[in-house]
Amino acid sequence: MNLRSRFVWRVIRVANGEFRLRIHYHKAGRLRWLSHLEVLHALERAVRRAGLAYAVTQGFSPHMKVAFGPALPVGTAGDNEYYDVWLTRYTEASEVLSSLRDSTPHDLAPLGAKYVGDSEPSLGAAITIAVYRVTVAGEESTSSQVRMALESLVGLGSLTVQRKGKDKVFDLARSLPKEACVSEKDGRSEVEIVVRMGPEGSLRPEVLVSQALSHASLDATVSHTTRTDTFIETTEGNWARPV
Amino acid sequence: MTPADLWPRIEPLLNRVERPSRYVDREWGACHSGDAEYRAVLVYPDTYEIGQANQAIAILYAILNTLPDVAAERAYLPWADMSALMREAAIPLFSLESCAPLGGFDLVGITLPYELSYSNVLETLDLADIPLRAVDRGEGDPLVIGGGPCAFNPEPVAAFFDAILIGEGEEALVEIVAAHRSAKARGASRGETLRQLSQVAGVYVPSLYVERRADGIFAGVEAIGGAPTVVVKRVVADFDALEPPTCGVVPFMDVVHDRFGIEVLRGCTRGCRFCQAGMVYRPVRERTPDSIMRAAVAGLACTGYDEISLTSLSTTDHSQLEEVLRRLSRRLAGSGVSVSLPSLRVDSFGVEMARLVAGGGKKSGLTFAPEAGTQRMRDVVNKNVSEDDLLGAVQRAFEAGWRRVKLYFMIGLPTETDSDVVGIGELVTRVLAVAKAATPPNARGSVRIAVSVSTFIPKAHTPFQWEPQIPLAEVRRRQTLLRESMPRKGVELHWHDSDVSFLEGVMARGGREIADVIETAWRAGARFDAWTECFSLQTWLDALANNGVDPSAVANRERLVDEPLPWDHLSAGLDRGFLVAERERALVATVTPDCSFEGCTGCEVCDELAVEIRLAGDSRG
Repeated sequence: MNLRSRFVWRVIRVANGEFRLRIHYHKAGRLRWLSHLEVLHALERAVRRAGLAYAVTQGFSPHMKVAFGPALPVGTAGDNEYYDVWLTRYTEASEVLSSLRDSTPHDLAPLGAKYVGDSEPSLGAAITIAVYRVTVAGEESTSSQVRMALESLVGLGSLTVQRKGKDKVFDLARSLPKEACVSEKDGRSEVEIVVRMGPEGSLRPEVLVSQALSHASLDATVSHTTRTDTFIETTEGNWARPV
Repeated sequence: MTPADLWPRIEPLLNRVERPSRYVDREWGACHSGDAEYRAVLVYPDTYEIGQANQAIAILYAILNTLPDVAAERAYLPWADMSALMREAAIPLFSLESCAPLGGFDLVGITLPYELSYSNVLETLDLADIPLRAVDRGEGDPLVIGGGPCAFNPEPVAAFFDAILIGEGEEALVEIVAAHRSAKARGASRGETLRQLSQVAGVYVPSLYVERRADGIFAGVEAIGGAPTVVVKRVVADFDALEPPTCGVVPFMDVVHDRFGIEVLRGCTRGCRFCQAGMVYRPVRERTPDSIMRAAVAGLACTGYDEISLTSLSTTDHSQLEEVLRRLSRRLAGSGVSVSLPSLRVDSFGVEMARLVAGGGKKSGLTFAPEAGTQRMRDVVNKNVSEDDLLGAVQRAFEAGWRRVKLYFMIGLPTETDSDVVGIGELVTRVLAVAKAATPPNARGSVRIAVSVSTFIPKAHTPFQWEPQIPLAEVRRRQTLLRESMPRKGVELHWHDSDVSFLEGVMARGGREIADVIETAWRAGARFDAWTECFSLQTWLDALANNGVDPSAVANRERLVDEPLPWDHLSAGLDRGFLVAERERALVATVTPDCSFEGCTGCEVCDELAVEIRLAGDSRG
């Protein structure tokens, strides 16, 4: 540890005891098939392998102090995902990033690391805006076909989704803060959808697109879903990245 | 040759199946050796989450991948939803690392972890497009090799394997691969290759042994073509010198035994007469505390696990366990990493060790195996545990803050009478009373004794290999008797399914005639028999009947001591005279001491295999 970091360690350690490091990572390739819990365990293990001085919760069954952003479903990739890990020793963020890179499976690789204040709200609560790219393939998957299908479904104003045997109704005006954008790439359509997430549950974009396709009786299916970005919505209504 | 990568065809199926992480590979520690000259795939014939933590596969995977020009990969049996989609799309069973069809490998190694996996062995071969029977395989097919616990009587599945390794694989598998490579280099035929393999110590090539029958009655198995008359198991003499794998595969999925396991000792010489593992994995060889610590530190750093397990047949019997646990808890203090012991010795020492492990933290349940309810019965099976040992352990555990213990018992042991069965209930009643008395009055309501009762299944190479298994109707009668003698409040009673035990009994001591039964049952849909929801006794009874096999003649018949047994051409190094003598001592309830601590008991394993007992920090042996 160099002199400067030792100095910072003393100052901040006295202030709050732990250092909250925000890691920016992706969920890509084959590992999009992992569940949220599997990603969480894999990244905790990566932190241990990296030899980081992580904080441990007090109590009956002590475990690593770590907190994750909103869950990604099985099969959905994420280009810009985040987790916070609390360290008991200050180490340059770039140094942590480099040891984490060496200890994390490539498809969950860390992309950046930055210390954040302990008073910042949790990632899970703060991130309320997510941008998705949904890829549609099939005989009837041109951008105009998909665009019309989506417009027609969104025009209904609400979407009813069955979840665990119960009907859940989404108000599409509230759930979709921006109009979906459809483009064509390699003979497939790519739909960019912005979703507002909330504690009462979030609309799954691939479900929206699938329902639009079947509503319009198109011979096409969703082949890939990626959450390309996540944002914190400020009180002024601006969208900011978590780091 | 670059193997075909099936991933582009597999991925589109994943959103239609449960738990796709079973099939994606890319775990930390997985070896991607590319297109090596010799390719082996190690298969666990059950789902990923059941097989992933298997230590034998982890050890052999690590060893093979360090050999030059050799690549070892893994494969598991897909769950029924996935295999249905694969068959529909004509996708063969694939390895995880290169996503290549199993049929293209040089060697397919299938472990035989339990008898109920036999239908899955056929499912594995069929899904892989490999002919089920060794006799039907051609020059282009891989060599299918078996091994593992069930290899000590592999006769029911012998027809499905080209070769079966008896005993420990660390050294033997390297020799098998070398023999196969040299045969390939010479352009040897499949037949020549198998003859060559039969000369590797510990390797059993079933096609080089023929069954003899006299008047339709089994009369033994005879070696042909220069194969050894008796195949003797392999054993690693210097176990402590073996580096345990410390950078194994770390799964994404929540699997059974999801922790870093280090094998602290191999073998067990307590001499429980029902226990096949205790007989066939002799002698006891311990790792030293230094080796264990080295592996623990390296393994945790490399895998990132938050739990380490000290594994073996009987970890609390390690002669230096206390030192190991003290050093581990010092090393792991404040890291949130916990230690687990898989089983405990039935006495207060066991509880002290559990206390060392738990520290001030969570006290998950403790498990003890008194096995029988009366002292006479425990003497018959040579479980050298007294009631005082058990009650002392329970008292210590509840005083130390535990509120739940689990007890393992067996019914149907040789010489068992109704009073022995009722004795289990009476013993549990006393255990419960001791547990309550040792618990503060305000916490007594939460005291729980979990009682798990299985049916005794006689196993090959044990002193009870000649004993009858009690028939199904009798199992049910004794279960009822036991239920009535068991206290209701504070006790959770669990049974091992008697139908399952019956089939296990048929598999455990059956001969080659069972192969047709397994194939018939598999064709009728039997698979994943170890999964309660998938098991159907009727499917198996029909298969037995269709092949004219009387299962009770296999499971419920007492053998004559001098009658030929289906596994007589396979040796675990045990002297037959020792097994006979142990059986005679059992029948008069005479105990035999543990030879690791109290002198040789004459099993002959050390002489026969030129090995010796090795206790850590002890020069005797």
